[in-house]
Amino acid sequence: MMGDQFRKVEQYSPKSSPRGARSPVVSRQDSSGTLKTTILLGKNPSIVPSGPFYLLKEPPGESEITGATNLMAYYGLEHSYSKFSGKKLKEQLSSFLPTLPGVIDAPGQSDNSSLRSVIEKPPVGGKDLLPLTSSQLEGFRLHPGPLPEQYRYTNATPIKKHKNKHKKHKHKEAGGGLPSTEAAIAEAGGDTHEKKHKKQKRHEDDKERKKRKKEKKRKKQKHSPEHSTGAGGLTPSQHSS
Amino acid sequence: MASSLENLEAQLEMFIENVRQIHIIVSDFQPQSQNVLNQKLQAMVHGLQEVDKLKAQVQDVHVPLEVFDYIDQGRNPQLYTKDCIEKALAKNEQVKGKIDAYRKFKANMLLELSRSFPTELSKYRALRSDE
Repeated sequence: MMGDQFRKVEQYSPKSSPRGARSPVVSRQDSSGTLKTTILLGKNPSIVPSGPFYLLKEPPGESEITGATNLMAYYGLEHSYSKFSGKKLKEQLSSFLPTLPGVIDAPGQSDNSSLRSVIEKPPVGGKDLLPLTSSQLEGFRLHPGPLPEQYRYTNATPIKKHKNKHKKHKHKEAGGGLPSTEAAIAEAGGDTHEKKHKKQKRHEDDKERKKRKKEKKRKKQKHSPEHSTGAGGLTPSQHSS
Repeated sequence: MASSLENLEAQLEMFIENVRQIHIIVSDFQPQSQNVLNQKLQAMVHGLQEVDKLKAQVQDVHVPLEVFDYIDQGRNPQLYTKDCIEKALAKNEQVKGKIDAYRKFKANMLLELSRSFPTELSKYRALRSDE
């Protein structure tokens, strides 16, 4: 029983040492360079520690900045933190780049426009960018008329929500330095105004249609026998409207 | 740095605007628009030249590759910044907690050691002048 206890102690005692289960007698390479001992052989062999106690190994060099300091404040990023932590950011890329025309929220891989592909397969570069000569411009002589339907559809700019209207207008101002000779483009470019105008027009059209319907109904009611009863029942057309 | 980035941004915006106008011209092309189109094409080359000139000013700007993934997926890249800031703050708090805990542990240990091994600890303190 007693022997077992001793064996247990022997078995576990080295493990409780900070150096693990290794015996201090066994010579080994000391990684820290702090454990220096002198082994004396002879009649009375002994081990004399000749260096400092191993717990006294040099502490790691003090660094100027540690995780104990508020790194956000140290690097002056508190403003950025409060900016991003407070508000809920919109998920779409278009909310970050509201001035960019076209569909930009779609994944780049779908139309081969990803930035990753630019890194993986860099475009041919290193050549001088020179203005096009008149003969080169001949290649851009176009036929009059609208684009075929399939191209028009893919190139169509997305219908922006009301929220972006203001930003779109701002964008127009940013690119507003259009020369006066380009009135046609400016006119075409002012699609937001056109849309607005169309909307107004549609609204007016609706009003007129409703007026006409009302007048028709009034005429019908005048001629119908139920007119005098004033039952007030909705006609199918009224119901649908 | 900020101004060079702003310059680049402005230049890119102008370039995009020019391309948008070309798109409008070609989507319903009129013969009289040929000259305007030619001007726009030259402006496009000029725009590329300007962007090329500005690249020297932004050589020291490092962009994490993960941001490109966000953009490629049609996501707001500010979400990446937000995630990074939140992660950094969480890690900062975690490390600070660890450092504080170790400090307390050290103080307690020294206290207990001085009670149990006063002589050894006084020797230790003598060797370690900073303790």
